[in-house]
Amino acid sequence: MNIVIKTILSRVFLAILTLLAVSMFIFWAAEVLPGDIAARVLGREATEEAKQAFRERLNLDRPVHERYLIWLSGAVRGDFGHALASQRSISEVVGPRLKNTIFLALYAFILYVPITVFLATISALNRERPLDNAISLLTLIGLSLPEFVIGTLLIYIFAVNNPIFPVMANVQRAKSFWDAVRMTTLPAITLTIVMAVYSVRMLRDNLIEVLESDYVRMATLKGLPRWRVVFFHALPNALVPALNTMALNLAYLIGGVVIVEQVFVYPGLGTQLVEAVFLRDAPVIEAIALLVSLIYISANLFTDIFSILSNPRLRTG
Amino acid sequence: MSSRVSSLQITQQTEGFNVRLKRLPPTMIIGGVILIIFLVIAFTAQVWAPYPAAKTGTGRPFENPSSKHLFGTDQLGRDVFSRVMLGTRIVLTLSLSSTLLATILGGLLGLSSGLIGGWFDQLIMRLVDIMISIPFLVLALLIIASAGPELSGGYFLIILAVAIVYTPRITRMARSVAIDLKTRDFVTVARARGESTLSIVWHELLPGATSVLLVEFGVRAGYAPIFIGSLGFLGFGVRPPTPEWGLMISENRSAIVSAPAALFSPGLALALLVVGLNLFTDGLARVLGRTVRPGA
Repeated sequence: MNIVIKTILSRVFLAILTLLAVSMFIFWAAEVLPGDIAARVLGREATEEAKQAFRERLNLDRPVHERYLIWLSGAVRGDFGHALASQRSISEVVGPRLKNTIFLALYAFILYVPITVFLATISALNRERPLDNAISLLTLIGLSLPEFVIGTLLIYIFAVNNPIFPVMANVQRAKSFWDAVRMTTLPAITLTIVMAVYSVRMLRDNLIEVLESDYVRMATLKGLPRWRVVFFHALPNALVPALNTMALNLAYLIGGVVIVEQVFVYPGLGTQLVEAVFLRDAPVIEAIALLVSLIYISANLFTDIFSILSNPRLRTG
Repeated sequence: MSSRVSSLQITQQTEGFNVRLKRLPPTMIIGGVILIIFLVIAFTAQVWAPYPAAKTGTGRPFENPSSKHLFGTDQLGRDVFSRVMLGTRIVLTLSLSSTLLATILGGLLGLSSGLIGGWFDQLIMRLVDIMISIPFLVLALLIIASAGPELSGGYFLIILAVAIVYTPRITRMARSVAIDLKTRDFVTVARARGESTLSIVWHELLPGATSVLLVEFGVRAGYAPIFIGSLGFLGFGVRPPTPEWGLMISENRSAIVSAPAALFSPGLALALLVVGLNLFTDGLARVLGRTVRPGA
């Protein structure tokens, strides 16, 4: 069998195993570790009969490994049971939230890629000159600002002082697609800044290295216009190592979204998770944590597969 | 005679020190100065802060900055300047102790895992893989959710949550150092001498791993205030009325129109501390001949 397919298959297998182990850990942390859920939800004063009925309804009277298997077999089919607080079906509650979060993440990613490439290219072409220094100073400042400070600053500038965008991003109430886009702009920009800060510097360094290579000099000597050399000869080769960081940033997005959603009161997975942790709503916590980990592990897997495919040493083997 | 020799040695040493001080990267010096200022504030603010952190009604609610209230007041009329200054000690304590705990745990686990190898190494590494496969903030929230009500809002739980998130990442780093070092002669000799595993980790591997662990500590400590501030902002940090900066930013959000200073001064303090820590780590890494990789 082809060695590439073999490597990829083993990575996929490993990712599935990891996800399985992660699901065990999540179940254990959310449901086993906290102790008696019945007493926590119903309060200390609840009668023993009420607690017993509650346990039976949620299968809490069964052994842990059985409960885990019941939960897992449901989760695989997309059925995470019911929320403790609202009694609603979790897939019904989480579904629209997941859609909103994916919308926000996609928006941020669409902004992030061109902005990173643009800033890095300008930096590399003006190497060590004022513009480059200004950009690296900006990235240093961005690096030390947490998401919730960047988000609040953006609200202050673009929602309070110059009311261009709304303070809160309640996309559930959006009248049209473009209204939702307008509401999601500030949260998306916040995420974009945090991600770009990490990768502009790296792409700039890659680009400078490539611009000094022989083949780029050759292209310049051939008399090609500068923009052609930069965009068609240098940039593609500088981008390949940076793609790894970009994919990692996609994985970051999934976690960083929790805070940004909270800043803008955006109705996504993040605000739902925070709410569930406040209420100690174990089934909801489990569902969101598992979903987020699934996205995270898949993003890493695709990065892995991409780097395997782009490695010529493996391709010929 | 002997005293002259020793004084000569001392001058030589101090000269050497001066030369080294001049060669220190400027980032390290700037970062160091910022960190020293924060440390001085952390240790002395109790003496000179104008008001106690939790004292309400020191002015009207949401006052703008004035000579009486340098950063204005918050919703309960508490002096924001005093709260930011007094919060320095809390933020530093939480950040440094959680990172230190993770570095010790991760360092020991990683070094012994790499040295011992076999099934032990496999087990530790699979556990590390699992922990790293959960986004760090979600992992921290899981840990906080799993703790009982008697722990929530306490320093201990926050330190534990941050340390548990950091440990697997540091373990991985330390393990790769151990694997690099364990084939060297001095480790083989120590093994032949019959030294115990712990003794080899301590006497043979740790000296070689110090610079890696120091830089790792710096990188993690540089992110810890943001991490802890994020938990505070989400409402899972220390209990109010503790003047933790993230919690203050979340509490003062309604001041964004009338008294933005109450909201942005803790944010500025947080950013300055992180800049200081990052610059210092960057310089330290250069002195130790290592490169700092952001993120990961």
